[in-house]
Amino acid sequence: MGRLLLTGLIATAASIAHAESVTYAIDPSHTFVTFEANHFGTSTLRGRFDRKDGAVMIDKAAKTGKAEISVDANSVSTGVPALDTQLKGKDFLNAAEFSRVTFSADKFSFSGDKVSEVAGTLTLLGKTQPVTLKATHYNCYLNPLIKRETCGGDFETTITRSRFGMPYGLDYGLPDDIHLLIQIEAIKQ
Amino acid sequence: MMTTPRAPGTARDPPRGSGLAWGGPARRPAPVARATLLTAMLGGAALLAHAVPQSYAIDPEQTHIHWELRHFGTSTSRGRFDDISGNITLDREARRGDASITIATGSVSTGFGPYDGVVRGPYVLSTTAYPKAYFVSNRFVFEGDRLTAVEGVLTLRDIGRALTLRALRFSCRTDTEPAREVCGGDFEAEFPRSAYEVTHSLPFVADKVRVVIQIEAARR
Repeated sequence: MGRLLLTGLIATAASIAHAESVTYAIDPSHTFVTFEANHFGTSTLRGRFDRKDGAVMIDKAAKTGKAEISVDANSVSTGVPALDTQLKGKDFLNAAEFSRVTFSADKFSFSGDKVSEVAGTLTLLGKTQPVTLKATHYNCYLNPLIKRETCGGDFETTITRSRFGMPYGLDYGLPDDIHLLIQIEAIKQ
Repeated sequence: MMTTPRAPGTARDPPRGSGLAWGGPARRPAPVARATLLTAMLGGAALLAHAVPQSYAIDPEQTHIHWELRHFGTSTSRGRFDDISGNITLDREARRGDASITIATGSVSTGFGPYDGVVRGPYVLSTTAYPKAYFVSNRFVFEGDRLTAVEGVLTLRDIGRALTLRALRFSCRTDTEPAREVCGGDFEAEFPRSAYEVTHSLPFVADKVRVVIQIEAARR
């Protein structure tokens, strides 16, 4: 009985949620995944992915959301062409075989009316692992140029690349932990 | 002493050693045990070596300047300069140093073509009129043996302003192949872009610029 009531309540909440769920398409000019990797304990190398697509659905009233964002492994860019080639190769991203790196999430946490955390999975090299992105900044605003609501912010997380089957260089000091800095802005559709 | 900056789009130096740009057996640092032994054996020589200023050439593969700007109070937009050259002199014993770094402004890269055009254009970097930016310092700040800051002047659009780079980390290591000492680290700084008369898109794009610098330099 109790369970039935709960199911009924959730169903009602879900239908309300769907009624107010808004889809936002990512703005590729303000959405980038930047990675940081320590270089032999000396300095921090940064690189980014230039091609990406995706959408985010947010229901502000129900405080729920969904996100599906992909980056093209072939678009990795460090500013050093020889390094980009190496990163796209079999030892790292294997972009010829696994061009899409996808983040898929359906657990949004809110702090007040702001998204504070997004939990989901990251699929890299065909392997799927849980990943939680923490918001370091979040905001919505009315973009005066396009007259539409835009939401987004900065998120970060750290992934362990060996868990995705990318152990190259661990034996001579390349780092296993890769810090990800994510800029995202998405426009209301 | 300074390397001539390459024109944007031209080929970089070919990768050394095995041809691997990042890591790879040919670029590996000395194993710790071996480095310790080497340090012990050559301790005297190393002390002597450090007693005089040593010159280091910037490694363009491990040297990048990223900048960050808050967009509409919401997210952080980033860009970087890909073509950086220069020389650093370091006297770790005397705790002194100087740096002379040249940035080819046309090598700016945001990952979004139209923005590269805007940033290179007359309202931001004016890269045709001002193809080079410079950072010059002769004041390295140490706390004990630790380098904590580099105080200098950043010249952008021919406007020079004092800028202090805070060291987030700084250290030296010994690579085996090629055998060389490499020093480097991460630095950060902030400045208002309006100080360089870059006011485009204010206030929607913030005035405050944060720069994040990765630098590695090999002893000459």
